[in-house]
Amino acid sequence: MPAVLGVSAHYHDAAAALVIDGKLVAAQQEERLSRVKNDPSLPMNAIEACLTLGEIRSTDLDRVVFYENPYRKLERVMVSALRGFPRGTAFFRRALRSQLGDKLWVLDDLAAHLGVPRKRMHFVDHHESHAASALFCAPFGDVPHSSIAALTVDGVGEEETTAIWRLEDGRPRRLASIAYPHSLGLFYAAVTAYCGFRVNEGEFKVMGLAAFGEPRYRDAFDHFLQVEGGAFTLDRAAFADHLDGARAFGRPFVEALGEPRTPAQKWNYRGQRIQGEDARFADVARSAQDALEDALLTLAEHARALTGATHLVLAGGVALNSCANARLLREGPFERVFVQPAAGDAGGALGAALLGAQDEGDALALGEPFCADLGVPIRPATAAAIADALGLRTTAVVDPNETLAARIAGGDVIALARGRCEFGPRALGHRSLLARADDEALRDRINARIKKREPFRPFAPAMLESTAPALLRDAPNDMTPYMTTVCRVRDRSPLQGTTHVDGTARAQTVQSGPLAPLLRCMESHGLHSVLNTSLNGPGEPLAATEADAIDVLIRHKPDGLLIDDLLIERPNR
Amino acid sequence: MSRLTTLRQLVAHFLRRGRFFLLPLLLVLLLAGALLLLTGGLSYVAPFVYTLF
Repeated sequence: MPAVLGVSAHYHDAAAALVIDGKLVAAQQEERLSRVKNDPSLPMNAIEACLTLGEIRSTDLDRVVFYENPYRKLERVMVSALRGFPRGTAFFRRALRSQLGDKLWVLDDLAAHLGVPRKRMHFVDHHESHAASALFCAPFGDVPHSSIAALTVDGVGEEETTAIWRLEDGRPRRLASIAYPHSLGLFYAAVTAYCGFRVNEGEFKVMGLAAFGEPRYRDAFDHFLQVEGGAFTLDRAAFADHLDGARAFGRPFVEALGEPRTPAQKWNYRGQRIQGEDARFADVARSAQDALEDALLTLAEHARALTGATHLVLAGGVALNSCANARLLREGPFERVFVQPAAGDAGGALGAALLGAQDEGDALALGEPFCADLGVPIRPATAAAIADALGLRTTAVVDPNETLAARIAGGDVIALARGRCEFGPRALGHRSLLARADDEALRDRINARIKKREPFRPFAPAMLESTAPALLRDAPNDMTPYMTTVCRVRDRSPLQGTTHVDGTARAQTVQSGPLAPLLRCMESHGLHSVLNTSLNGPGEPLAATEADAIDVLIRHKPDGLLIDDLLIERPNR
Repeated sequence: MSRLTTLRQLVAHFLRRGRFFLLPLLLVLLLAGALLLLTGGLSYVAPFVYTLF
């Protein structure tokens, strides 16, 4: 019974994943348990949770696989520092201190913490982990392996930033790659920093902002990001990731686009429009998003030419750009496109574990639908005990789905926590805040009072897959169950509160899982969808445990919290 | 002991990749790190370390 643990850590969004007998039994992001957003530290809480869920001890592990090669990573940092010398010396010092301080010794630290012999510690390449997480989790059981290509795109792994893969003898094989410093992830990070958002966290915001803009700066971005012959290059003078990872853009950005936005400044947003000086940043975001999408389409064409595949899977941080994924499916050369919900670095742990299981001789079950509820469970009894201790009102409801549907139909915002926590950034109904999807005022209330985030950011609707064709112009596809793509909304669909300004929605289509019975109940209230956003407050990780969910109820004040059949409410509501 | 495994793998990696020009820099950095660890960051080591970091 081989047990393999995959680990990602030391950059951002650390995670662990456990595979036993070739089956993925648990995956958990560290941030959900440490309560530090995008926590990069060695994920000991997540590892402990995975071992508990797998009902094994750390000494039972046959193999522990780290998601990247620490030696190649150190080599890249040293080579790029020498290339850039004497510029970036301060950044190089910080990077080296970090590399030699803990990153280099990650396998030793894991062995020591787990009490597992060092010889059971292994690593795989960063982009190979991404490729495995996408290829092994794709729901393409009905097509031969030769028909599936993978495209991995992120900031930077060891030195690769982009790679094209195909399964050969059941293992990902790299067919082409692009190396640092040319990186679509770093390109988008620079735009994120320029628009005043935090790198590695604000990329979603740039994507949302882009819908408000016009591509007025496209010429500048075509100069910064040049696409040719199935590959791309960056104008290095325009980027400063090698000097300052948080700023990421260089002087030519400012010369071409104007002064960058001051972080945390209030947005000039009124009546679904971004106004004044802020309109310029929407135009910058639009131009950058278009440039990114065009580059990805070129890469997809190249992947198709290299592999002859008809199906594409993507992974890496850039694969979380749901607008780009929609365009890849709509305009790209592939019949089907799939992005699993933990496509970022957390998913690297998943890929590493699956590759390690293969090395242990396990046959992986490929082609099955991916289940994202891989994290820690939530228990009503524990929640009831916490709620009682805090003086909250608790009610055991007879029909939780009907109660929930009635409350949502009546205009309440209800937190729902059911089963095991989602793996990846999307709340898919296990840790969600739910409300009517047809109410714009409610959307603005959630944005301003509960989520306390930028007013232009949209929410997503969830709907039964059978209902989707009546609401959406785009058919449900392999990505819609995981919210890794967007769909065009039909005119006059009752999705006013969850349709973005460009007429799209990051719709979740549901066949089974925690939202399916709720959505069926909502039909009797004349509602065919529900607004579904993550159960957390501003700057917080998604709630995982009973205490986290109750904390959201107390501090951010949704109208109630339902954990299985236990309804918890604030006493003074 | 397990750190020796890492050091061995690290040197093997640099040799395999033919990155000989990086070995002196790596050696100096590792020696500085070892010196800091062994001396617990004693003050007379500091001038050597500050020139590097």
